[in-house]
Amino acid sequence: MSNAHSLATLSILAGILMSPTLQANSQLTDNTPKLTALTNARLMVEPGKQLDNATLLIENSKIRAVITDGKLPQDAYIIDLTGHTIYPGFIDPYAEYGIDFKYPQETTSPPVYEIKRIGGNAENGAVHAEKEWINYIYPDSEAAKKWVNNGFTSVQTGLQDGIFRGRATTVSLAQLKANDIIYQAKSSHLMAFDKGSSLQDYPSSLMGSMALIRQTLADAKWYNANIDKSFSNTTNEKIEFNIALARLANIEKEPTIFASNDLNGLLRAGRLLNEHQLPGSLLASGREYVRIDEIKATGYSLILPLNFPAAPKVKDDGSERQIPLAQLRHWDRAPSNPMVIANAEIPFALTQHGIKPDAFWPRLKQAVKAGLSKQAALAALTTDAAEIAGISEFSGKLKAGYMADLVIANGDLFDNGKIHSVWLQGQETALISRDQQWLNHDYQISLGDLTLDLSIETGDKLKGLLSSGEQEITLRDVSYAKQRLTFNADMGQAGFDGVNRFTLWFDEQGIHGRMLDKNNRTHPVAGVQLAKEAEESDQTNKPSKMLISRLTQPNVAYGLLNQPKTEKLHIKNATIWTSTPEGILTNSDLIITRGKIEKVGQKLSTPSGYQVIDGTGKHITAGIIDEHSHIALNGGTNEGTDAITSEVRISDVLNPDSIGIYRALAGGVTTAQLLHGSANPIGGQAQVIRMRWGEDAEGIKFDQAPASIKFALGENVKQSNWGDNFTRRFPQSRMGVRSLFEEAFNEALAYDKATRDYQNLRSSEKRRQIAPKPNYRLEAISQVLKGEREVHIHSYVQSEILMFLRLAEAYDFRVGTFTHILEGYKVADEMAKHGAYASTFSDWWAYKFEVYDAIPQNTCLMNNKGVLTSINSDDYEMQRRLNQEAAKSVMYCGMSQVDAWNMLTINPAKQLGIDEYVGSIERGKQADLVLWDNSPLSVYATVDATWIEGRRYFDRQQDKAMQTAVATERAALIQAILQSEHPAVEGEKPAEILEPEWHCDTQYDVWHQTAATEAH
Amino acid sequence: MKQFPRLLAVTCALSSSLVLAHDMVPASPQQGPIVIQNATLHTVIDGVQTGSSLRIEQGQIVAIGPEVSTQDAQVIDAKGKHVYPGLIALDTSMGLVEVEMMRPSNDSYEAGESNPQLLAISAFNPDSEIIPTVRVNGITHAQVVPQGEALAGQSSLVSLDSWTIEDALVPTQAQFHLYWPTLRRLAHDEETQKKQLAQYDAQLDTIETTLIDGYRYHMAAQAGTIDKTDNRWQAMQSLYQGKGQLFVHANSAEQIEQAIAMTKPYQFKLVIVGGYDAWRVADQLKEVDAKVIYTRTLSLPMRTDEPTEMSFKIPSLLKQADIPFALGFSSDWNARNLPFAAGQTVAYGLSRQEALKSITLDAAKILGLEDMGAIGVGYKANLIISAGDILDPLSSKIEALFIDGRQIDLNNRQQQLYQKYLKR
Repeated sequence: MSNAHSLATLSILAGILMSPTLQANSQLTDNTPKLTALTNARLMVEPGKQLDNATLLIENSKIRAVITDGKLPQDAYIIDLTGHTIYPGFIDPYAEYGIDFKYPQETTSPPVYEIKRIGGNAENGAVHAEKEWINYIYPDSEAAKKWVNNGFTSVQTGLQDGIFRGRATTVSLAQLKANDIIYQAKSSHLMAFDKGSSLQDYPSSLMGSMALIRQTLADAKWYNANIDKSFSNTTNEKIEFNIALARLANIEKEPTIFASNDLNGLLRAGRLLNEHQLPGSLLASGREYVRIDEIKATGYSLILPLNFPAAPKVKDDGSERQIPLAQLRHWDRAPSNPMVIANAEIPFALTQHGIKPDAFWPRLKQAVKAGLSKQAALAALTTDAAEIAGISEFSGKLKAGYMADLVIANGDLFDNGKIHSVWLQGQETALISRDQQWLNHDYQISLGDLTLDLSIETGDKLKGLLSSGEQEITLRDVSYAKQRLTFNADMGQAGFDGVNRFTLWFDEQGIHGRMLDKNNRTHPVAGVQLAKEAEESDQTNKPSKMLISRLTQPNVAYGLLNQPKTEKLHIKNATIWTSTPEGILTNSDLIITRGKIEKVGQKLSTPSGYQVIDGTGKHITAGIIDEHSHIALNGGTNEGTDAITSEVRISDVLNPDSIGIYRALAGGVTTAQLLHGSANPIGGQAQVIRMRWGEDAEGIKFDQAPASIKFALGENVKQSNWGDNFTRRFPQSRMGVRSLFEEAFNEALAYDKATRDYQNLRSSEKRRQIAPKPNYRLEAISQVLKGEREVHIHSYVQSEILMFLRLAEAYDFRVGTFTHILEGYKVADEMAKHGAYASTFSDWWAYKFEVYDAIPQNTCLMNNKGVLTSINSDDYEMQRRLNQEAAKSVMYCGMSQVDAWNMLTINPAKQLGIDEYVGSIERGKQADLVLWDNSPLSVYATVDATWIEGRRYFDRQQDKAMQTAVATERAALIQAILQSEHPAVEGEKPAEILEPEWHCDTQYDVWHQTAATEAH
Repeated sequence: MKQFPRLLAVTCALSSSLVLAHDMVPASPQQGPIVIQNATLHTVIDGVQTGSSLRIEQGQIVAIGPEVSTQDAQVIDAKGKHVYPGLIALDTSMGLVEVEMMRPSNDSYEAGESNPQLLAISAFNPDSEIIPTVRVNGITHAQVVPQGEALAGQSSLVSLDSWTIEDALVPTQAQFHLYWPTLRRLAHDEETQKKQLAQYDAQLDTIETTLIDGYRYHMAAQAGTIDKTDNRWQAMQSLYQGKGQLFVHANSAEQIEQAIAMTKPYQFKLVIVGGYDAWRVADQLKEVDAKVIYTRTLSLPMRTDEPTEMSFKIPSLLKQADIPFALGFSSDWNARNLPFAAGQTVAYGLSRQEALKSITLDAAKILGLEDMGAIGVGYKANLIISAGDILDPLSSKIEALFIDGRQIDLNNRQQQLYQKYLKR
């Protein structure tokens, strides 16, 4: 350790650098030369580039040079960092630091339809795009420690509240005046789905948040293109000043950070940003390993919290049973998530967001152990983080001209190294008191003729040993301060009887001092530092721990290891329910290939290469289609906060991981329309899905299905059962419902006309006149009026059915399907004449007043009057027994079996506009098929297999095998958890938010996780 | 079929009055003997007998066999028809609830955690429009159960064809209902979670205290030292005397085990209602001779990782575990789907006869009745005549229904509306 160039001990230097500002100084300005050479260190110049025995030259707050030839400027003050490693300071691109602002926390009781407009703010309480957090920044010494202690030197910060959260700023964590800590005044725009503390009801759902983001971005574009016209004299119109929209003017060129709560949310955020071509990064969930290819395809970099979960509580079998396999698997795989991201070559930064600061390094080391390369880890802390924080031009590397933000460690941080000090803009903050470093070494001391090894163990209480070969002497009463070590030792073994007192000093040369023996005689002691054994460095990219869990698609119980392949199949001698005018064919054959039905007939010969299934005694039907379902959704099925929410889209919130999909398949259901709920007259846009278990959110969409939307009438929309707080919103009566529709239609027509008129203007006129404000809400309604979007309208009683029929006729559009329609039987003639379809429950009634006249013969009466009728479930459970529901029409009103089965197949296919592709068994149609072991209308029937486009997504035998596999895997994981060591830092509580099963009128604020009302 | 006046339909759409006069007049007591001939008898106690007949006198089955006397009897030729015992719907709210979401029409729930004195029959509405729509599927009797927190009261078994609550009541031993607390979805944040757990513990304590207090009263009553009557504990005497039964509504193994442990000292006759995990704790249940009413056949699996068909196959798991059980269908109007819930279990391990038994004889046995739920001499003449299998909606075609030998009107409000609108 001795070094000729050493000019002073580090501790003295630290004192100088850390001296407070000039207050106590008579000098008015500080003119101390500040050129410092950090010598003999290992420099981690940038990820993958390491210099040993190099010097970092710092001048004031910046790095002046990296010196490898040892030629130091003469005036440099030298600090010898032999044995130390210097890293560029770490950057956390997702923080809430040093912001002197709070949103007002008023207490109001719901409903809150509008917020106070103040200072040109946005219309919605979750839109704070006008906030530029630079304006609220101050250095917060207490808060800074949370980062600095872990080696972070700068953060990108903003208040993480709301949907548009304003513009972040990137600041140094140095405790300088605010003006001096700002690195990037306006860095990323901050966005999220969570409306945070906004008091306004809208949006209460995830799809509502997504719609609000879309509308706001469109508004911003429009605003910034038109605001100047508003203030000119060329137009008579004026548009409201809106600072939130103004601040979004250039968002397409500026980065955005999007925060979401889970993996599906991350993917949605990626799609949404891509849709608007916004550059930026996504806050990761910790589960990226599940859908890494999809994430890679978004093209966004990630900000990754190290939120590894705590071991699930499996001790008690009762609570263990409640824990889904997915959660057990995540415990197994979470530490390898960073490796998976790195291996996929997705740029990512690490953040302390969402975890306690003292968990950061233990977790990062865990990730490295699990296979994350140190180089990737360093990039995530420095260069990649600098990119995301917008400071890569001058931060994140050890490079001339870069900020002197440094981390100095006594070794490899990703291994056993500890951070000794953090340099913020050229000023040092020592984390481990400098003089403590002496204790980290072992010494060989000579006492008279004796040679002994001295080692001190630091910790809460100091301990130490003197040893020689096998012999050991335990030290007592060890204390240390400012390079001075004292202890007592019984040295009888070494020839000094009694208790001997030692006083030793450390310095560059080693150790020296004295021992007082029992006679108070002084014996000189001197020693040298022992060289440390070289540490092994492990640069492999392999996980050190074997993974126990399987990774399936989706990554839940019954997920698939491989996607099913398109089958070439010949089903022989079965009963085929064609759902065509041919009816039911006995002893017939079916051949499918390339996802389509190739042939239906009798005694067909098997083409070569086709698999044969003996269908004797079996029944084959087309896959069941459910016109009305709410499965496989995240974040709410209702955006019921406003009476009209036609801007929200179910397609935004599909959840391909929902076990509901698999259960539907087990019941022979291949397609369902996922509808918005019935909380408001004009609800959101629907999405037809296919139960392609294992595909991603895009992959389960029924692409060819035409656009549709949910409307609703009656008790739910007039808030009859919402409680006493909900009596203000229009409409509160069926009269009001009619009026609301009329008004909405008129508005949509006017909007459409205004848009058309503007488009027809000459371009010179366009430059002068204000364009109509884009309105996605009215746009969707206008599509309905133009016949471009099918209406599925929740309705029960005859008055409202006729009312809506006539209204539609007045506005010249056809009503697609009346859904639920329990009194359809009373006005079946009128429905048939209009050409409206009906989708109903088989036997539901009496659960609320408007269904008191419901009858199970409804289907027959409507069917007989020529209304195309289907049976829907609107329910997770009933969906898997729809076949039995159809059979009830046979029982209650003698419907023919062919008609009853059509109510589940070709009829709903027509209602969804997909009958060209599915809904019946005939040549050329897609092979969405179900093989039953009994008449499909019988309560005794079970599904043997279900195909979608010729791919077998459900198979009874495979299902049995999977049940065993799930049980085995669970058992293995539980054993692993029980045998696992208690981690140094407790893991995070499971982050999954358990969502309720969505129903038509589940009114649920997903952001505040409160149910307003829940009923059918 | 009487004609439903057209005007009335308008009135009923506008009126909030729910008790509408209907035309289904309760049947008079059986007059003379009735013989049902040449039928397939699903006796439940003695297999399926084809080409068999039975004779009913004064509301009871008095003879069964290929040849029974037709002397003085009204003879019903049931050639090609099936005869079943009337179905007993356990754990329903029938007659307590007309329209669930309309509070004035809902009498199923009472406030308070210790209400053993409540009697379901006191709120039962024999004129409920729901009842005729339920019995049309073969259900002749229903257990009407009060709901609440913890000890909710006593259920009553009713005949589904009666003028008054007194006509309706079929006397049984006292049946007490205890709703075991459930730890619902635990909240995300630790604070709320702690509160939830504390609340759960408090609920368990309340139950324990209730049982102890009732027991103190019982001991005092035995010693003759009661000064003042306590309505609650007085009502519970039969339970401590071993005469009544305690129905514990619980689904998870943990709840069931807790319930057994807490009630064991009193040696109550125990019935678990819900019973989703009952098969997992078969040994504990058998030790206290507990029975199970399984009510979740047509439900989703309780846990995401369980087999898709879990709810369907639990009856067969109960059978394998040799636990006495019946099927219930906790509902009001929807209780009419009870036979199809039983049918559903057939593809998942029960035989058709076992499925039928689970909604007839097994149900009667759980209520402590010896003369219902089967076709045999000495059994009450609660009978269904159907042209097809009543467990399967594809074939069920019920043509006649008897309660105590009285032939019941199978008409109902829905049938009337159907007939009315057939005329439009």
